[in-house]
Amino acid sequence: MDQVLVTAIAIATGIATLVLISLGLAVIFGMMRIINFAHGEFIMLGAYATVLSTNAGMNLWIAMLVIAPAFVALVGLGCERLLIRRYYGNLTTTMLLTWGLSLFLVGSVTALFGNTTRGIAAPLGSVTFGNYSVSVYQLFLIAFAALLVLGAALFLTRTRFGLIARGTMQNPAMASTLGIDPGRVYAATFAVGAGLSGLAGGLLAPVSGVLPNMGASYVAKAFVTVIAGGSSVLVGTTGAAFMFGPIEAIVSLISTPVIGQASLLAAAILLLRLMPMGLSAGFRRST
Amino acid sequence: MMNISRRNLIKTGAVGVLAAGVSPMLSATSVFAQGETVAVGSLHDLTGGTDVYGVPSHACMKMAIAEINAAGGLLGKQIELKTYDGQSDIKKFPQYAQQAALQDKVVMLQGAITGASREATRPVLRRYKVPFVYGTIYEGGLCETNAISVNTGSDQQAIPLLDWSFKNLGKKVFYIGADYNAPRNIGIWTNHLANQNGGTVVGEEYYPLDVTDFSTAIAKIQAAKPDYVHSCLVGGPHMAFYRQWAAAGMLKKIPIVSVVFGGGNEHMVLTPEETDGIIVAYNYFEEIDTPANRDFLARADKTMGASRPYINGIAIGGYTGPMIWAEAVKRAGSFDYAALMDALKTDIEWAGPSGKMVLEAKTRSTIQDMHIMQVENRKWKLLETQSQVRPFDFGGACDLLANPRNTEILVPKV
Repeated sequence: MDQVLVTAIAIATGIATLVLISLGLAVIFGMMRIINFAHGEFIMLGAYATVLSTNAGMNLWIAMLVIAPAFVALVGLGCERLLIRRYYGNLTTTMLLTWGLSLFLVGSVTALFGNTTRGIAAPLGSVTFGNYSVSVYQLFLIAFAALLVLGAALFLTRTRFGLIARGTMQNPAMASTLGIDPGRVYAATFAVGAGLSGLAGGLLAPVSGVLPNMGASYVAKAFVTVIAGGSSVLVGTTGAAFMFGPIEAIVSLISTPVIGQASLLAAAILLLRLMPMGLSAGFRRST
Repeated sequence: MMNISRRNLIKTGAVGVLAAGVSPMLSATSVFAQGETVAVGSLHDLTGGTDVYGVPSHACMKMAIAEINAAGGLLGKQIELKTYDGQSDIKKFPQYAQQAALQDKVVMLQGAITGASREATRPVLRRYKVPFVYGTIYEGGLCETNAISVNTGSDQQAIPLLDWSFKNLGKKVFYIGADYNAPRNIGIWTNHLANQNGGTVVGEEYYPLDVTDFSTAIAKIQAAKPDYVHSCLVGGPHMAFYRQWAAAGMLKKIPIVSVVFGGGNEHMVLTPEETDGIIVAYNYFEEIDTPANRDFLARADKTMGASRPYINGIAIGGYTGPMIWAEAVKRAGSFDYAALMDALKTDIEWAGPSGKMVLEAKTRSTIQDMHIMQVENRKWKLLETQSQVRPFDFGGACDLLANPRNTEILVPKV
């Protein structure tokens, strides 16, 4: 019984991690079609913002949930205004641009803080189920990821900004004839995407090694999840996370972690072969 | 703030191109043993994923060369340190090794810390007859006349550490490692030593280097109920394991021992509540309380500045490497390759900050003291010292005096 529960928690953690690290990219790549190779570095910046402000005496929860997303949203806004906006619609150029941005951010953080930064521990302690004990913070991450998806869905479908953003992404020309400035919507959407990545970084800071190059371990998985998710940002990404998270966790548990990772990639390839437009193309109504 | 105008940029660019053009000529005039200086190469990762190992090692190497030069040089010559940045990119290693050997004519090259970069560098230096000093802890079993290992193989770490653990912590071990050659090799050692000590390996798991979610690992370990965990997880992403392990409340329940923890300064990045109690074995740690070490650290503070990195069991090889090599050169009385190789046919002894070290002629590996120590509030606390631990000779399989042509990496038979 306890083993089933712990396995379920491990699977849920896998899904929650994928959702957290992919959501920001889903907005920037899924909605705006910008291949953001600096996505991992946005996560890293969020983690650094959390660690540094906590070390400076800030409350961990404020650092994680407010400072990290706000700071990275600002960085994102700066990048969009200074660099990205000049190259909308040009996939290859934005790809090179964000790749350069990624190298620049890793280099800058290394130069500023060195490659060893004192981290912070996970709060909330642990809870015991029979023979197993599980981190409470891990349970918090699962709950938070669920809330975040729900919140993002409500934001995109029920708020005016959500409507405008979706409209602008679908047809910028039409949006501008309705008196909306697509440039501002793009900037704000990019900032929101960056802020979500920063939030992921903040939330993962207490359970990961916060180092300048940490982004590299998230970026590939985030892209796999978002691409497999397809055009519908939220439903697709969450759906893909629900598919890949359990596959990886269960295969890792019954065989080895290497095969677990390979099976995730195999599942992604199979999925894209069967549904080239992504998982959400199979859903009728999309968000 | 420097003023960068287009004209300036073109000028400096042109100078750079010119300098690049003439540098082969410059180096041609400074062929070793003729000029006032000889060149020695440092090939470490100074940027990229593994710079956490490369930067402190390189800093220690610079310090050693500066001390040799300040003491009047070696055989009357000043040593010029040529620095190559491996950039955590395997491709760069053979390229730079070749450049160091052919263009810069180095008389020794040290570095190539990761196993993969070592294997890329080793054959190049062998071909061009440039002595390769290997300064890091590694999986063990390096047995080649041209490769001088001044740090420890995992046998020198794992044998004292696991013997101690099977005696003091219990008979059941769970081994968890990163998925590449060195941790796989240390997995073989773990099985070998479990057999020797009447213990059992209740689980053995390897994780790709970019894994950050260890919830399945932790569940598996809890299910296997080991007396202790032997971890050979490596690099930044894997630090997540220690975080998640402590967050699950396991740090107080099942002890962790490791031959790599601390090498990337994990005990500084992680918090005391995530690391207190983790047990490791190294030949060096800054907290060694001897006059020689206190003096070494005072000099390090002076040369590297107050913000210098912590010198751990990996970085110390950057210092001991050039020093032991210099002993051998003095013995040879020449920078000549054949003379140095001859000099290495007898043991070379040198005393450094970590005590007496003996470079063994038979294995070209180094006998030294090993310390079993435990993290306590981001510092190391000594538990036990085993003096003058020999490199494992694989039942006599590594004997470079009898078989100087061996270049294979040896592994124990389970």
